Amino acid sequence: MTVGRIIRSILMSLVAIVMLVPFLWMIVTSLQSPETLVRFPPQFIPRSPKWSNYAEVFSEMPIGTFFFNSVKISVLGTIGEVMAASLAAFAFARMQFRGKKLLFGLLLATMMIPFQVTMVPVFIIMRWLGWLDSHASLIIPHFFGGAFASGAFGIFLLRQFFESVPRELEDASRIDGASRFRFFTTILLPLSKPALAVLALFVFMGIWNDLLTPVLFLSTEDKMPLTFGLAVLETVQHNFRYDLLMAGTLISVVPILIFYIIVQRWVTDAFLRAGVKG
Amino acid sequence: MVKIATKNPSSGRAAYPYLLPVLIGFTVFTVGPVLTSLYLSFTHYEIGAKPEFVALANYRELLGSQLFWQVVGHTFYYALLYVPASVAASLGLALLLEKKVRGITFFRTVYFLPVVTSMVAAAIIWGWLYNGDIGLLNYLLSLIGISGPKWLQDPNWALPAIALMSVWKNAGYNMMIFLAGLTNIPADYHEAARIDGATAFERFRHITLPLLSPVMFFVLVITTIGAFQVFEQTYVMTNGGPGTSTLTLSYYIWETAFEFFNLGTASALSYLFFIIVLIFTLVQFRARKRWVFQP
Repeated sequence: MTVGRIIRSILMSLVAIVMLVPFLWMIVTSLQSPETLVRFPPQFIPRSPKWSNYAEVFSEMPIGTFFFNSVKISVLGTIGEVMAASLAAFAFARMQFRGKKLLFGLLLATMMIPFQVTMVPVFIIMRWLGWLDSHASLIIPHFFGGAFASGAFGIFLLRQFFESVPRELEDASRIDGASRFRFFTTILLPLSKPALAVLALFVFMGIWNDLLTPVLFLSTEDKMPLTFGLAVLETVQHNFRYDLLMAGTLISVVPILIFYIIVQRWVTDAFLRAGVKG
Repeated sequence: MVKIATKNPSSGRAAYPYLLPVLIGFTVFTVGPVLTSLYLSFTHYEIGAKPEFVALANYRELLGSQLFWQVVGHTFYYALLYVPASVAASLGLALLLEKKVRGITFFRTVYFLPVVTSMVAAAIIWGWLYNGDIGLLNYLLSLIGISGPKWLQDPNWALPAIALMSVWKNAGYNMMIFLAGLTNIPADYHEAARIDGATAFERFRHITLPLLSPVMFFVLVITTIGAFQVFEQTYVMTNGGPGTSTLTLSYYIWETAFEFFNLGTASALSYLFFIIVLIFTLVQFRARKRWVFQP
């Protein structure tokens, strides 16, 4: 029994190393100088770590602009999508209306439609709206559930949570004279913080990490978020300095990792909830 | 008293304001575009010009072109490389984390880190690891006497290399789904089998696997759909090359639409793609009865 436990621990640690090596290599590379970078065999621990790479990356590449664009698009988009999803989830969880089941089924079914099918018409719509090469094309659709997902995932997740809140609470607040909307904003939403946090993480992560939508709608460099900007730097400049590219990549990864570590205790719970019914 | 408040007869209409934003988005960004691209697939269309109806010409042209079938082949090959490896890896991770041991939260967080990271970051990092001359991977291989290929520059290795990177990137996601499935298996079953003298492997084979099969089915379906859609990896790492060796359907559609601006052809391609995905999903649902455990 204990032998089994030891083997398990060793395996767990080995796998953890495999999962972490690419991240560690990114950090190591980001601290190399152009000379040590191309040395083979590679230097595993840079003898004189070049911290100035992190300053240089901001002067050599428009990382600051990319970063600001990413923050702006992701924060506003997340606010919009969480709002739209929670409103709709409230209707699906707590109200009766005609065609409810059908509509919910349709929304879930859209998660099966590959983005390739709607990509061209959505591009045409953005062009018609005059939103091409502007952040509006990346932000505003989220206030309507998102351009490529209809917010279906969020609606599904929040509906499960809203349904688990006892109905007596709503009845009590209604008897006290509160409107339905007041109950929603002052009681239900504060009670749903864990679910909202998980949804916010997934939406934020989706937007922050998204490459397709920016590639589709944007074209000038000063509008690009980190994903698009880094991808351009990587593909366009073949002999680009990998030390700086890795520093830039690290800067793009850190915010999302911090966000995840803060809400990770709720993430497992969300998977459990979704898993029970799915 | 309680019922009166909830069964308000006006609540039918009261729901609409709450649904309105999502309904607008659903109509404008999903229903409309799905129908529009179906129509466009029967036209010759370039941005700015009027769509010109050509009936089935786009489809006929595609189905008769050698490149299309090559691209379909690459897509299937990628799915074949990626799906079994990915499902096996995530199941393995979940089984490792199944028991509540010390430090479990740490390991779960670490295994999930690549999922949180963007595909762009992962592709840049792995592109560097895969570097044929000074990459870490080939250095590690050289330590055990293997001289590694040029990975992304090698037409034979580029697609497997992308698949391997994607397994690393995505395994944590399905791991979470498997973990949720594993916690739903009653501990009594394992206990009873252990008392009857079943070994760990027998318990895995006759208790865990059958009871996990519905979750496995779900994971298999979504992973297959995801594999067919592979895009960002090829966009960052290979642009479909070398040659056309990593040109998959998803990238080909994008290229046709936004590099060659044949929006009609791209729409037809996207529908062919959609049909392929649907057929695969239906086949999986059909085969479900054969191996998925139903109590």
